[in-house]
Amino acid sequence: MANAVARGRGFNGRLLGRSLSTAAGALNPTARNLYGYLFSLPLIVLFLAFVVYPLYFEATQAFDRYTYEVLFSDPIYVQTVVNTIVYVGIAVNTKLFLALLLSGVLQADTRGVRFLSAIFLLPWAIPVLPGILSIRWMLSSQWGIMNLIMEDLGFGSVHWLASRWMAIGALIVFHIWKYLPFWTVIFLAGRRGIPRELYEATAIDGAGGLQNFRYVTFPMLKGLYLICTLLSMVFTLGDFTNVWLLTGGAPGDSTHVLATLAYRYTFLMGKIDWGVGVFATALPVTLLFIFILIKKIK
Amino acid sequence: MAHTRRDFLKTTAAAGAGALSGTLGFPMVSRAQARTVVIWWNRGYYKEEDEAMIKIAQEFEKAKNVKVDISFTIQEDLLKKIIAAIQARRVPDCAFCFYNDWEVMPNYAWQDKLAETTDVINELKPRYNEKFLQVAYVYNNVAKKRAYYGVPIEAQIMHIHYWRDLLKEVGMADEPEKIPLKWNDYWDYWKKAQDALRKKDPAKYGKLYGIGMTESTRGSDTIYNFEMALLSFGGQLLDPDGKVIADQPKNREAIVKAIAWFAELYNSGYVPPDAINWSDGDNNANFHSKSIVMTPNPSLSIPAAQFFQSPDNYFNKMATVEWPDNPGGGKASYMVAVKTILLPKDGKNTDLAKEFVRFVLEPNRFAEYIKGANGRWFPAFTDVAKDPFFAKGQAGKGGPVDYHIPLATKLYLERNVKVFDHWKSPANSQVYAENIWGKAMARTNVDKWPADKAADEAINRMKTIFTQWR
Repeated sequence: MANAVARGRGFNGRLLGRSLSTAAGALNPTARNLYGYLFSLPLIVLFLAFVVYPLYFEATQAFDRYTYEVLFSDPIYVQTVVNTIVYVGIAVNTKLFLALLLSGVLQADTRGVRFLSAIFLLPWAIPVLPGILSIRWMLSSQWGIMNLIMEDLGFGSVHWLASRWMAIGALIVFHIWKYLPFWTVIFLAGRRGIPRELYEATAIDGAGGLQNFRYVTFPMLKGLYLICTLLSMVFTLGDFTNVWLLTGGAPGDSTHVLATLAYRYTFLMGKIDWGVGVFATALPVTLLFIFILIKKIK
Repeated sequence: MAHTRRDFLKTTAAAGAGALSGTLGFPMVSRAQARTVVIWWNRGYYKEEDEAMIKIAQEFEKAKNVKVDISFTIQEDLLKKIIAAIQARRVPDCAFCFYNDWEVMPNYAWQDKLAETTDVINELKPRYNEKFLQVAYVYNNVAKKRAYYGVPIEAQIMHIHYWRDLLKEVGMADEPEKIPLKWNDYWDYWKKAQDALRKKDPAKYGKLYGIGMTESTRGSDTIYNFEMALLSFGGQLLDPDGKVIADQPKNREAIVKAIAWFAELYNSGYVPPDAINWSDGDNNANFHSKSIVMTPNPSLSIPAAQFFQSPDNYFNKMATVEWPDNPGGGKASYMVAVKTILLPKDGKNTDLAKEFVRFVLEPNRFAEYIKGANGRWFPAFTDVAKDPFFAKGQAGKGGPVDYHIPLATKLYLERNVKVFDHWKSPANSQVYAENIWGKAMARTNVDKWPADKAADEAINRMKTIFTQWR
């Protein structure tokens, strides 16, 4: 019976293969291309509608000198560029460095570490909105738990979200808290891919933990580390949600990043061209990151 | 029966063509059946408002034998929706959003993307409170003329709400007529209340603040607060032709004084520290939770909310008072925002939309609609404003005297009122949208700049915006 089924499958498979090759062979190359285009048409239409047209629209809006005159004369834009560099630079690099270190801790296969790993992943699993609302509550000048603790310790209250650098600091801390687990898991996977023989060899040579990290782990992970850094930078450069929900650009529009500023121009001021202009100024940096990323992956 | 791939392709092509022709044909049939007017309306704060508007739409359908496609959206989302629709030229026939007057109308009338409404305004002119009308008289930069490009319907003005029971608790006079109205005495009164309450019960009132003054770039309340203070200090930003005069010595001096005053208020510890981050709902929330004694608010949303939640609070434990007299003497002048209906130029049924607007604004019908807002808005029409509701308020519905709505009516009718200057130039809409005065407050409150430096930065920014506007 089983053989019969197998024979049947073989027969049908051969038949299908023959019919396809016959059909393909029967068509001349032009007709074959035509069919190819016809079947690709839905994808081409979607690509034109959702990739090419938005890019074309952005390009037409972006190539207007007036937009840049306006942007560069707005002190908030200049401040925003600085904020974005600080936010992306510090948050991404601190987060990835910590993730690299923590992945080493989580690699230990003990019950305690397994339990800790589960706890450690929680921030990643919590949706952004409740996470940020909790942080905002904690940092409230009047009622927040942080100030309650500060006052109990005799330090007086701090206006956490009422000063530019404190607010950006809070943003960076939230970013690290939220996304550290994800990148730690990535590095953990990377570490697990390093052949154990290398560590056995260094152990024979008498290498300690630091030397293992310096001469084995980091060289083996540095490609992954660079890719993760670039990826995270691209993600963070376009981060709107965290910034908008935590500070909304306040106080005094001093904590905007490019994404929130573009939103402010586009939807709060009705200036789509300015919003597009903001992204256009960030585009060379994003494209550079993507270019390096693709080269690195290849 | 064999079904070849070629057959399949033929069948698919035939079905596709049929579906396409069906799709194209359908709207033509539909259009022939009934005219549809598409209305985008701001969702009200109370269900009575929306219900009244739905009823009006149904009446209009019956009266005119047309279809009204009406949808309600909250104000923040509706603003974005209208902007996107006008940009994409896929617009409703009529749109009413609470942000129209500030951000949409001056901007898109300038770009010739709104239908002129002079005919509607002229018909309604005898009924209008003329003070409110200029809000829709904006400039079209394509037609190179000023005309009406909207239909103003309802207004909001600055009020100060306070907790009477908190004042009473520390033995301070709590009746509205006993609140001192001289500039310094007025603000000192709330500071005194904070000090007394904190002293009386530090555990309960240790985090209470006397003055809930929004001083952020996120809240449009900041704009009201600043412009009210500027009027009090005798300053102006634009001349009647819409030219910037903020840098003239007298006006600059008033701006510096206003900014310095806001800074003093904030830095002296009588305003909640987070007030520089507040959005428009935050002073309401702080007031409702009794973490502030008083708050300026440019609508009656706070008492209206209490009317539903706790009539005792509405009638007995809180009250509304005037903005204080000017520092130099004389009653305060009031900034008024007048909410306005728009008709996008690309609308398919503009004439029908105008009929709808006329229908909505018939006195009895409009009175029913606006009273659904429980006094939050004041009608732009004198006949509707004569409705006893605006003189007596909610009196008799839980308490003998309403300390909120009648006061607001008095401000509209008896005080000097001034509509916001966005109608003079769309560049001023951007000044509001950027909230440059909130930014100036942040400069003094956060960056610790002196008031004159913050004022000069704001004035220069305003001039740049006007120079670059096109």
